[in-house]
Amino acid sequence: MSGSTVETAADLPPDARQGLRRLVIALADAKRLMGIRYSDWLLGAPSIETGIAASSMAQDEWGHARLLYAMLKAFDMDPVQVEHERSSDEYCSPDALDRPFEDWAEVVAGCVVIDGAMSACLRSFAGGSYEPARSRVPKMLAEEEFHWDMAAAWYHRLAKASEEARTRLRDATLEMLPSTLAWMAPEDSAANALSDAGLTDGPGAIRSSFEAVVGPVLAELEIDLSTAEARSEGWDESRGRGPGGPDDDAIERARGDRNRMLFVE
Amino acid sequence: MTGLPVMKGIAYMPASQVSGGRDMWSEPLAVPPEDRQSAVWDLLHEVLDPEIPISLVDLGLIYDLGIADRHVKVRLTFTATACPCMAFIREDIEDRLLRESWIDRVEIEEVWDPPWTNDRISQRGRKALRRLGVGVSG
Repeated sequence: MSGSTVETAADLPPDARQGLRRLVIALADAKRLMGIRYSDWLLGAPSIETGIAASSMAQDEWGHARLLYAMLKAFDMDPVQVEHERSSDEYCSPDALDRPFEDWAEVVAGCVVIDGAMSACLRSFAGGSYEPARSRVPKMLAEEEFHWDMAAAWYHRLAKASEEARTRLRDATLEMLPSTLAWMAPEDSAANALSDAGLTDGPGAIRSSFEAVVGPVLAELEIDLSTAEARSEGWDESRGRGPGGPDDDAIERARGDRNRMLFVE
Repeated sequence: MTGLPVMKGIAYMPASQVSGGRDMWSEPLAVPPEDRQSAVWDLLHEVLDPEIPISLVDLGLIYDLGIADRHVKVRLTFTATACPCMAFIREDIEDRLLRESWIDRVEIEEVWDPPWTNDRISQRGRKALRRLGVGVSG
């Protein structure tokens, strides 16, 4: 990537600026939704300890979302409007977060695959030329180290458990992978503009970074990440994801609808 | 530790009961200080973290200060991106500094570079934490 630094989004050509805007919203929405999905398991995780870990992870994800939404000011966008007033079909989060995780195996698979994909994106973003990312994202990645430790340990534990646990974990992983790969490393003009401007790596490098970290964990279930294919049917380039969006309940929670009248900025 | 009660081997640290340690803040300076930079650092030393009763300065959250006329700019980080006390900390800093007659405006810039780690806790902060029964590695 480029060695020079881009101080503000206004310094970028229009196509790169548009790509950057999409990336920031995608990461912010992903973090917001991931936190909601983790929060569902504060009660109901297999043990008190795992519930506590899910609680901490939800908190981190929301902290990251907060920092990322704030970065949208560089695009003359109002972070409050983005966070609290959009509809589901405007969200840019990964398709695999559109519905709640149904069991603990899905949580663990999501922690490895989806959170792992978000971190691959963030590593690429932190290593790019956009100064606001270089100065904010390393703190997020430092906090994500703990998520990964938990994710890998949980995955390993389930992979060594019963045949049913292995089957559920494998099914959940394979279900999430294709759309998450497409979201993580899009191959479209917006993503190309980003990498051409040195703001991120290209999709191949992001995918390699993901495979280097996540691949050995999935191998415990004989899943070969190097051959996994991204699914991009119905690709929505404006949002960098497939069709649809998160379920109504998640959107209402993300926006804070229930207590909107009590929101104090 | 003389004078402090000891409970089960751990010295009990009298703690503030209000946000930011307000009940322990000093009175405003009667005369504007000559060394304003140093004075502002001293004032911020009085502001306690809402969750851990040690100073924000000793916790390593204040990265830099800028003072121009009666305007103070504070570069502040947090221990975590989702610190639930961000608003309280900002308010405590503003309220402490604005008690001084020679400060009219406080601007707080939130920064994340370099990322905070517990390496930034001062030796004085570490001692205070140890007295509270909290060990810090490094």
